[in-house]
Amino acid sequence: MIEVQNVSKRYGSVEALRNVTLTAPKGKVLGLLGQNGAGKTTLLNIITGYLAPTSGRALIDGFDALLEPEKAKRELGYLPEHPPLYDEMTVEEYLAFVAALKQVKAGAVNTHIREIMVKTGLMEMRERLLGHLSKGYRQRVGLAQALCGDPDVLVLDEPTVGLDPKQITEIRTLIRKLSAGRTILFSSHNLGEVRQLCDRVAILHHGEIKLDADIGDMGQSDTVTVLCTVQGSERRLVASMSHLEGVRGVNVLPQPDEDEVSLSLVFDTAAMPEKQVFTLCSAMGAPILRMARCEDDLEQVFLKAISD
Amino acid sequence: MWTVFKREFLAYFRTPIGYVYIGVFTMLTGVIFYLNNLSTLTGELLTFLAQLTTLTMLLTPVLTMRLLCEERQHRTDQLLLTSPVSISGIVLGKYLAAAAVMLITIALTNVCTLVIALYGKVYLGEWFVGYLGFTLQSLSFLALDLLVTGFTKSQVPATIAAFAANFLLWMVDLLADKVPSGFPADSLNFISLYGRYETFIIGQLSFASLLYFITFIAVCLTATVRVMDARRFSQGGAA
Repeated sequence: MIEVQNVSKRYGSVEALRNVTLTAPKGKVLGLLGQNGAGKTTLLNIITGYLAPTSGRALIDGFDALLEPEKAKRELGYLPEHPPLYDEMTVEEYLAFVAALKQVKAGAVNTHIREIMVKTGLMEMRERLLGHLSKGYRQRVGLAQALCGDPDVLVLDEPTVGLDPKQITEIRTLIRKLSAGRTILFSSHNLGEVRQLCDRVAILHHGEIKLDADIGDMGQSDTVTVLCTVQGSERRLVASMSHLEGVRGVNVLPQPDEDEVSLSLVFDTAAMPEKQVFTLCSAMGAPILRMARCEDDLEQVFLKAISD
Repeated sequence: MWTVFKREFLAYFRTPIGYVYIGVFTMLTGVIFYLNNLSTLTGELLTFLAQLTTLTMLLTPVLTMRLLCEERQHRTDQLLLTSPVSISGIVLGKYLAAAAVMLITIALTNVCTLVIALYGKVYLGEWFVGYLGFTLQSLSFLALDLLVTGFTKSQVPATIAAFAANFLLWMVDLLADKVPSGFPADSLNFISLYGRYETFIIGQLSFASLLYFITFIAVCLTATVRVMDARRFSQGGAA
């Protein structure tokens, strides 16, 4: 079980996390969603004891990762954003090293790492140098090292990033299998992945938890989200759209083209959003390049949470 | 700690660093032995050892440059710092691995002792005291360099800073001669690694110097642990 209690983290004048409280119960998969820079990796680093919080505390199976690090970390497997691999070691040597670090009994190391290599599909690669592996296999080794020592708690920072579709499916299936009897916390940008794997979702935005709820509770919504891409001035468009009838939030999404603005607009369900947006843009002489109603419950919830 | 020691020790020989260090050290030792002993036909072991200090000062940063920086650069410290191993265990494991490579190299310099023994006379007491002092001084440079590299993230600044620290300690004796006598000069003489080694060079086993070297190593290693621990609080990543 993971408990995060009122955790804040400052880097100089920047507040990366603000009073974050979160619980990931045993046997559940908790997905941590957030945009780039939301504070996901910082939060995961604090939970695993790699970073110290400015205030608050993080507990793993009841042990504080800072005050009782060895007890807390014995129950922990962590796959960071960049798998921590020593390029000069082979897959087998590396996993044996990690197993020893995780205090697996010397006599059981070989059987243990063999089981993990079978689970993660690394048997064929066991004698390869880590420096010679593809990104997909490096990610697998990263996941394999997190499984060493059979930890109760797994913390995975974007475990499927950079993998091809087949590898993504395999890793997702593996995570689902591993969730039995374990606590899994993983961060992701991929809403589909979170919906597929998680029992619960927490949305982090600008260092604050904006939502923490079971996936099942997210179906009901009294709002509708419209995503639109418009040509025109971002400042004028945001100001005008904020005054539309029934609008609850306007959020600017990342957009590669300079003269285009992508917006996520959250409306009350009765507000007829498309009609209002079309009329407004037409009056402003701002051509609508794309507009679509967001039908995905989780996507709506996410966009609403980050637009508040 | 032993898991970290084993990995680090083997890493020296899975990469060129161990071979380069041992190779260059022993080759230059041969040159010094030729200039100091063979060309002058003298069997002076202690003056030969005294000259090896320069090599230790120059080459120890090669051993320490990757120990902490590389972990931070490649973010492998995330594995170590989130495993059930204490920071002191990590630091000690790394230090002992580098010390083991250093001790192998120092042991190899005894080929010169053998040559002296074949063609002259080696006094066992003199050999023991000389090598004890040289080893302790080398291990002190190693601990200092490990601490210095703990402050940086990339290897080049780490190596330069470590070399500068070694050079500064080596220069302390010269500075001590130039500052006013009394407390300033006494303080500089007290911290001088070379000054402490001088008692061994003249064949005296000084317990004060022995204690000084051991304390110096312990202080440097403790400070390294503190630096690594403090980084978790102070910046955007222990790495």
